[in-house]
Amino acid sequence: MKIAVCIKRVPDSETRVKVANDGRSLDEAGVKFILNPYDEFAVEEALRRKEAAGAGEVAVIAVGTAASQETIRTALAMGADRGVLLQADAVPADGLAVARALAAELQDGGYDLILCGKMAIDDQSYQVGPMLAERLGLPCVTAVTTLSLEGGKGVAEREIEGGVEVVEFPLPAVVTADKGLNEPRYPALKGIMAAKKKPLAVKPFDGGTVGVAVTGMGLPAERQEGRIVGEGAAAVPELVRLLREEAKVL
Amino acid sequence: MTGNQGAGGGDQGAFAPAAYQAALPTERVILPVGSEGAGDQLEMDVLFVGAGPAGLSGAIELARLVRHDNEAGGSLGDVQIGVLEKAEALGEHSLSGAVVNPRAFRELFPDLSDADFPFRQAVPGERVYLLTAGGSLRLPTPPTMKNHGNYVASICEIVRWLGEKAEAAGVNIFTGFPAGALLVDGQRVAGVRTVASGLGRDGEQLGGYAPPNDITAKVTALSEGTRGLLAQAWLEWQQVPSVNPQVYALGVKEIWETKQPLDAVIHTLGWPLPTDAFGGSFLYPLEPNLLALGLVVGLDYHRAALDVHVLLQRLKQHPLFRSYFEGGELVEWGAKTIPEGGYHALPGRRSGDGVVILGDSAGFVDVPSLKGIHYAMQSGIFAARAIFQALKRGDQSAGPLAEYDRLVSGSYIMSDLHRTRNMRPAFTHGFYRGGIEAGLMSLTKGRFPGRRIVMDSDAAAVRRVGSAEPFTPDGALTVSKVDAVFKSGNTTRDTIPSHLVTGPDVPPEVVDFYVHMCPAGVYERVDGGLRVNAPNCVDCKATDVLGPRWTPREGGSGPKYKRM
Ligand SMILES: Cc1cc2nc3c(=O)[nH]c(=O)nc-3n(C[C@H](O)[C@H](O)[C@H](O)COP(=O)(O)OP(=O)(O)OC[C@H]3O[C@@H](n4cnc5c(N)ncnc54)[C@H](O)[C@@H]3O)c2cc1C
Repeated sequence: MKIAVCIKRVPDSETRVKVANDGRSLDEAGVKFILNPYDEFAVEEALRRKEAAGAGEVAVIAVGTAASQETIRTALAMGADRGVLLQADAVPADGLAVARALAAELQDGGYDLILCGKMAIDDQSYQVGPMLAERLGLPCVTAVTTLSLEGGKGVAEREIEGGVEVVEFPLPAVVTADKGLNEPRYPALKGIMAAKKKPLAVKPFDGGTVGVAVTGMGLPAERQEGRIVGEGAAAVPELVRLLREEAKVL
Repeated sequence: MTGNQGAGGGDQGAFAPAAYQAALPTERVILPVGSEGAGDQLEMDVLFVGAGPAGLSGAIELARLVRHDNEAGGSLGDVQIGVLEKAEALGEHSLSGAVVNPRAFRELFPDLSDADFPFRQAVPGERVYLLTAGGSLRLPTPPTMKNHGNYVASICEIVRWLGEKAEAAGVNIFTGFPAGALLVDGQRVAGVRTVASGLGRDGEQLGGYAPPNDITAKVTALSEGTRGLLAQAWLEWQQVPSVNPQVYALGVKEIWETKQPLDAVIHTLGWPLPTDAFGGSFLYPLEPNLLALGLVVGLDYHRAALDVHVLLQRLKQHPLFRSYFEGGELVEWGAKTIPEGGYHALPGRRSGDGVVILGDSAGFVDVPSLKGIHYAMQSGIFAARAIFQALKRGDQSAGPLAEYDRLVSGSYIMSDLHRTRNMRPAFTHGFYRGGIEAGLMSLTKGRFPGRRIVMDSDAAAVRRVGSAEPFTPDGALTVSKVDAVFKSGNTTRDTIPSHLVTGPDVPPEVVDFYVHMCPAGVYERVDGGLRVNAPNCVDCKATDVLGPRWTPREGGSGPKYKRM
């Protein structure tokens, strides 16, 4: 079983977001970067598939700056076998440029399965997985919460509005992971040691041809402060009045 | 939230916190090597416990010595150096002032210049004030507090930078792995056992359970920082004496983005501390509009209702400070203790069979100048040199490792601490007498008063019970403990087992004392009894000094400091 996982280095979701002086990027001062949580599910799933198959290889591929090596090492510490960094000065805002670069790298790799996170938590574009599948001419199943593989085919479940959808597809395929697919492991001490010796190839990537650019970034409007109208049953009439007259929801 | 300003009401009794403290759980902390219950076994040559300035500097220096030796045809070969850290990522449990003396940086990186170091700016100027409730009096800067030539920095950034250097030198850094016990073989320290993760509230194994790991090493360097658990246990086990017991101060700190810039480092004495407590505040500009504000108070304070977090909130309301913070934004909050016993509280030896103790864990802090970072780094450098020699000799027993003590004793670490040896103890006599005595000490370069001032441990200091003066935070300039803990980045899973060991039968007045003592709101009085909100804990260790004992919990728990 040969599996590739596409991963991205993203700001921690607990980060306090500040817009940089250019008005269209994140101010990185004091920001902690992590492996995109959805990609973490993808890495975990790949490791479980390989373990279940008893043999194979898990390769992780990232498009990113030099700092993404650290993110790749995290995946290697979890248990992936080798890493590839397509190193750029910045990750292109255009998902298609990223997908093209990944496709060029994965094209002739002979992978049985390619896993991605359903989205990266920083730009939330949901594009790279499906576009990568398109470039590779492979079927694509997005946002899966369970996955089983047998023979040359896969069966996945996806959460849809009010229910579950079951999908069958031939391998190789591109599958994007949703929350709930598994519980990612924490790297073990031995995994961290071993990761240092695993191969990590760095290849230059010029950013490709871009059709989309981010021109502005802003913070959401601040939430209005709550108001305490009173305490206990005595406050109910006033609350009802306010809901009716001010909030106009009753 | 209510708190107090330490003004205290009438006399309602007194107690010593020591009477209600559980003993150090030594039987859990010192384990024979090979004890049951470990998952993975890992072998290192040298293991540093704690990735602060001390541990990382030691690892960097050792890696370099080994590399040079191998390049020169030496026979050491591959030496595996590990650094264990309980925080999820480097620097996330690091909190300091910080004005840094660059001396140890220069020694550790002789090829770099000050501009290469992770400092924010050279100290632009400095001012010292004595505060009263509404006023301030500028004082001449005492010689022991002078900061010319030093730099303002964030210890989180320093630690991350040192971590990169260490990794580049081939050091193995294991973040998210707290050491929970020393592994011993007879009298020799043989390594550590890490703490399990994925346990439920009652100790049951959950889905992501990972058992503890045993890491053995020829030398274990304890660089756990202030009030190190393993260092304490080893000193107790080996019955290593110190002249005075170690004492601590609690520092509560905030980072603010301000509208008004600041162009100097400011220290204050006096208000809002009562005159029978020792301490002061600092205000340091990381950038002109990014300020670090902290209040440090000796934990031998006498009034049971004193609350350092609340005092820090009040401090921001003082005319000298208010204008800086109004309209600004609180970006981070945190707390940590500082060992303040100085020279006379240093353990008689900081080395033994297979073990050395570095930095804050050994007590290398100069109190009048509020500095420990360069001493911690320097002690790491010395430890590396002694360990390197011991590895070369093939003997890591107490004899060769005593070289570490000799190096420290012959260095500025010891002479600096000796010079200020009686300053902190003088303040057990109160602020004014202590201040006058400390002044004389500075003038006589430490010779006054010609004898040692005896100090009790903090937990032995008697507390007077009194009511707290109510304080209601406004949520903007002043914050509650709940909001504060949120600003520490603490996202500890709230289903982990409690890591705090409470004594039996804690009476209500002692519960109240805990409520005020803990800056993170871990303790609450509910129906007269003690409720422990363990996940709130930010590992400042004040509780271990005065209240329920602290033990390490699941890796990655606790605060996530960014620019502290
Ligand atoms: C409020 C405050 C202000 C200060 N101001 C200054 C200043 O301006 N200038 C200055 O020079 N010094 C200052 N100091 C002192 C300085 O911060 C310390 O002396 C210095 O950080 C000590 O370094 P260390 O490496 O010994 O310990 P630390 O920096 O505390 O590092 C210890 C590390 O060990 C980890 N650890 C602890 N126990 C375990 C365990 N069981 N397993 C795994 N990891 C563990 C901790 O998480 C931590 O990362 C200040 C301290 C405080 C609290």
